[in-house]
Amino acid sequence: MFRGRRSRLVGMAYLAPAVIFVLVFTVYPLGQMVWMSFHNWSLITPPRWVGLGNYQRALADRQYWVSFLFTLKYTAIITPILIVGGYLLALLTVERSPLRRLTRTTVFIPVVIGLGVSSLLWYWLFSADFGPINKALMDLGIISKPVLWLGVDADRSNLAIIASVTWKVMGFGMILFVGAIQAVPTDITEASLVDGASYWQRVTRVILPLTLRSVLLVTLVSVIGSLLAFDQFYIMTAGQPQNETATSVFYIYLNSFPYLRLGYGAALSLILALTILAFTVVQLLLTRRSHA
Amino acid sequence: MEVHGMRSRLRWLVLVAAAIVLLAACSQGSDTPSTTAQAPAATTSCASTGELTMWERSGGNKQMVDMLVAAWNEKNPNCKIKLTYIPHTEMVGKIAQGIASGEVPDLMGMDLIYAPQFEDAQQLVDLTDRIGSWPEIKTASKGHMTVATFENRVYGVPLYADVSALFYNKDLFKRAGLDPDKPPTSLPELREYADKITALGGGIKGYYLPGNCAGCNIFTVGPLMWASGAKIEAAGPGDEPLVGDGVKQVLQFTRDMVKSGNVPEGARSENGETFHLQFGSGKVGMMGTGNFNITLARQQNPKMDFGIALLPGMAPSSAASFIGGDLVVVPKGSKRVDDAVNFMKFLLSDEVQVEVYAKALNLTTRTDMVDNKYFQAEPLVQDVAKALEVGRTPYTLTFFEQINSPQGPWLKMLQRAYYSDDNLDTVIADAKAAMKTIANQ
Amino acid sequence: MTATVARRQRAGVVATRARARGRSGYLLGAVCVAICAVMLAPLVMSVLASVKPTAEAAASPPTYLPHGLSLDSYERLWTYQQGLPTYLFNSLGTALLAIAFTLALTVPAGYALARFEIPGKEVIFVVLLLALIVPYQALLTPMFLLFARVGLTNTLVGLAILHTAIQLPFSLYVLRNSLSAVPRELEEAAIVDGASSWQVLLRILVPATVPAIVTVALFAFIMSWNEFLGALVLMSRGSSFTLPLILAAARTETSLGGTDWGMLQAGVTISIIPCVLVYLLLQRYYVSGLMSGAVK
Repeated sequence: MFRGRRSRLVGMAYLAPAVIFVLVFTVYPLGQMVWMSFHNWSLITPPRWVGLGNYQRALADRQYWVSFLFTLKYTAIITPILIVGGYLLALLTVERSPLRRLTRTTVFIPVVIGLGVSSLLWYWLFSADFGPINKALMDLGIISKPVLWLGVDADRSNLAIIASVTWKVMGFGMILFVGAIQAVPTDITEASLVDGASYWQRVTRVILPLTLRSVLLVTLVSVIGSLLAFDQFYIMTAGQPQNETATSVFYIYLNSFPYLRLGYGAALSLILALTILAFTVVQLLLTRRSHA
Repeated sequence: MEVHGMRSRLRWLVLVAAAIVLLAACSQGSDTPSTTAQAPAATTSCASTGELTMWERSGGNKQMVDMLVAAWNEKNPNCKIKLTYIPHTEMVGKIAQGIASGEVPDLMGMDLIYAPQFEDAQQLVDLTDRIGSWPEIKTASKGHMTVATFENRVYGVPLYADVSALFYNKDLFKRAGLDPDKPPTSLPELREYADKITALGGGIKGYYLPGNCAGCNIFTVGPLMWASGAKIEAAGPGDEPLVGDGVKQVLQFTRDMVKSGNVPEGARSENGETFHLQFGSGKVGMMGTGNFNITLARQQNPKMDFGIALLPGMAPSSAASFIGGDLVVVPKGSKRVDDAVNFMKFLLSDEVQVEVYAKALNLTTRTDMVDNKYFQAEPLVQDVAKALEVGRTPYTLTFFEQINSPQGPWLKMLQRAYYSDDNLDTVIADAKAAMKTIANQ
Repeated sequence: MTATVARRQRAGVVATRARARGRSGYLLGAVCVAICAVMLAPLVMSVLASVKPTAEAAASPPTYLPHGLSLDSYERLWTYQQGLPTYLFNSLGTALLAIAFTLALTVPAGYALARFEIPGKEVIFVVLLLALIVPYQALLTPMFLLFARVGLTNTLVGLAILHTAIQLPFSLYVLRNSLSAVPRELEEAAIVDGASSWQVLLRILVPATVPAIVTVALFAFIMSWNEFLGALVLMSRGSSFTLPLILAAARTETSLGGTDWGMLQAGVTISIIPCVLVYLLLQRYYVSGLMSGAVK
């Protein structure tokens, strides 16, 4: 639209504030973090150069792997639930009837309330002695004594947290899918009806392929978000039992704050960031191939 | 390419800038000491005017601290203390950040077991010249003063004291046919009594073990080990933790307690947030808990008749207690050291000891003030104050990581002992190794 | 077969199918209602718990419906330390500043990336998005030290800057996509008439991308309103604390680290209300903003 040397400068002027902001408040701290990762530093004692020591330590650190594998497990379980559940909800609510629109609105409400608040809410719901879930299960006769949902068994805690995050986040995927499904031209769907396609055939053969882009986007966002999960674990289990539910970012937090091992925390962050970058690149490459 | 060149130059610039900033930040650490040889004599009023900022950790005895600050503010309206509560899990990090950035409060309350770590790092103001010769220091809680001292220099005084003791439900004792005036004096006896109480049924259990709370356990199970002659923490690099048969004996005792059904099942998920409500429920026969539980239990369950004994060890008439609570210290860089010291004098003054601490049925932080009119009217408080005599406070530079951390080796060892069948020697050896690694950092 | 006949045939098939669907429509309707109930139940229970009298709120096992109504928990929350109004003011102030900063930075930047021929702009875009994959928890200490040097700790502006830094990549992504999608014809006329780039941005592009802007603003608000760790690190004076810090405190509020359940629920309820209200009011813009801005 705007061409020429002068317009280029004008464009850079519009871009400049954001770039400067990012340089000062993201790149600079990032640089400092990289610097920190080569040192041992506890804030109250002077930093000590250790070169790649922190990185080597991470590879040999049992807890690092426990955290990483747990984070992968969490991601692997919750992502399909969010994608499939979100897509089904989208199919359910895509019509423009009042009830469907109401459902869509309601499903989206948990999305806007904030992960910390949601985690606190579910922490209460799942509380062994004080929460309504156990009470309801006992009243319904499904269990005979309170289930210790959080902090005692890693897999059970994982499932409870996944339930709470699903409740909170599913609406986001749903809305994006609704947008994508509504963008599918109606004559294509109608044509398939004429050809005698059943509902599910229509969904899988026509709608799904045409909305694949949104599915891949939601998957990507979900995966990155899950790999970076922290709040829900900090609030609901504090990493218990025995740090088995401490995600990668939770372990980074532990090192950066209570343990005051800033260098190590910085190194762990960089390793995680690079891991996520690798995941993302792989996912984008797969996407491009499926589109080509 | 042009873009690459610019970016790598930029990164270099950033790193250089970062290095400069950090060098500057680190060199800020060497402050001139604010204690001078001519420090004014301490009083219990203002040394200078203007608000004092004070940090205190949450999750402690908030009521007590609020009362003390209110008492000071009433007496000294010209130098009122503005108190901010910091979430206790973040306190250590926050203090470190504050010191590193120079934004420290004028004084602060700190969980006493973290004091050695900060003293070692030279982040607290050395107050020996100002308070070392006070007579009150000699009778102040020895657990507190031990951790407030580093290499013979004194850095703070007690803010409030908690001790752990064995609370027992006299009503349940009577129902189980036990003498309500004869609490158990050894762990085997405790087990015997617990069995009898659990046999009453109806959701009643003889004992309580918090399954997910590191701090609760060092507070109430640690003394069982001490009373059995064992040592728990590694004080510093090269020190040996978990020494003595007492460790294994107590772990065996607790494992047996859980296995025999003497502990409520819900206790397994107790992470400290509802620990203070357990004894007052009236469903627990005996429980290690703290002096704070006296008023709490009374509020929760006014009709319950209960008594207090000392936490026993394996051998008869052995006892120990954990002296916990908070210290008042002055962070390096504080601009109101004189006022902070006056606040300390205020806390240790006779009047405050009796009219604020004792009146609220909290422990006096001076052992020579235990005999006062409020305590005399309250035999339970007198009983619990006895724990001060057999009590101690762990001394280590890495308390949080070794012991208090929910992810640390102490809690892990206990959880394996309570709830699994892992060989206890292995369990102890694993914890020992982990604690040593932490201490050696 | 003519087009009309084909169309009529299609319409016939669609109608038949629609009638068949009418029967299963009731079932699906019931499913919708069930889903709504499940989604709302936790929120409703929290609100109910917040109006229980203190003793009932701390009861074990809990009651479903309150046996008595009481505002005790809200009173405790209101007078907690510096008082709820202070914390609400801080949270709200920070959130509004974060929205302002975010929009001020990303609208022009999105415009530049969408409409100008800037050398290496794809690279710059990707770099600006890279912040998304770095866990911001580890960046907090360096940022804290930076803020301390320039005196931004304990200020709402400082916290808003932190929040803006976290929100920037996502906001930029949405706005750039949205601005790119605006048909160029709208601007061409104005440019021919001699409008400057700034006027084009303000008069034409911004009104055309209101849904995306509202989306960005809403997400920035929600993120800032609920953010905890950054606030904890930056604020060390009680008078600067935000609402999430108080919620965290409610968990260790009663003597010696016990949870004040009633106050916790009151805090949760108060945290939820503005977010839900803003969402419901701005739904129209927001939903379409997400649907258009993201699916590109």
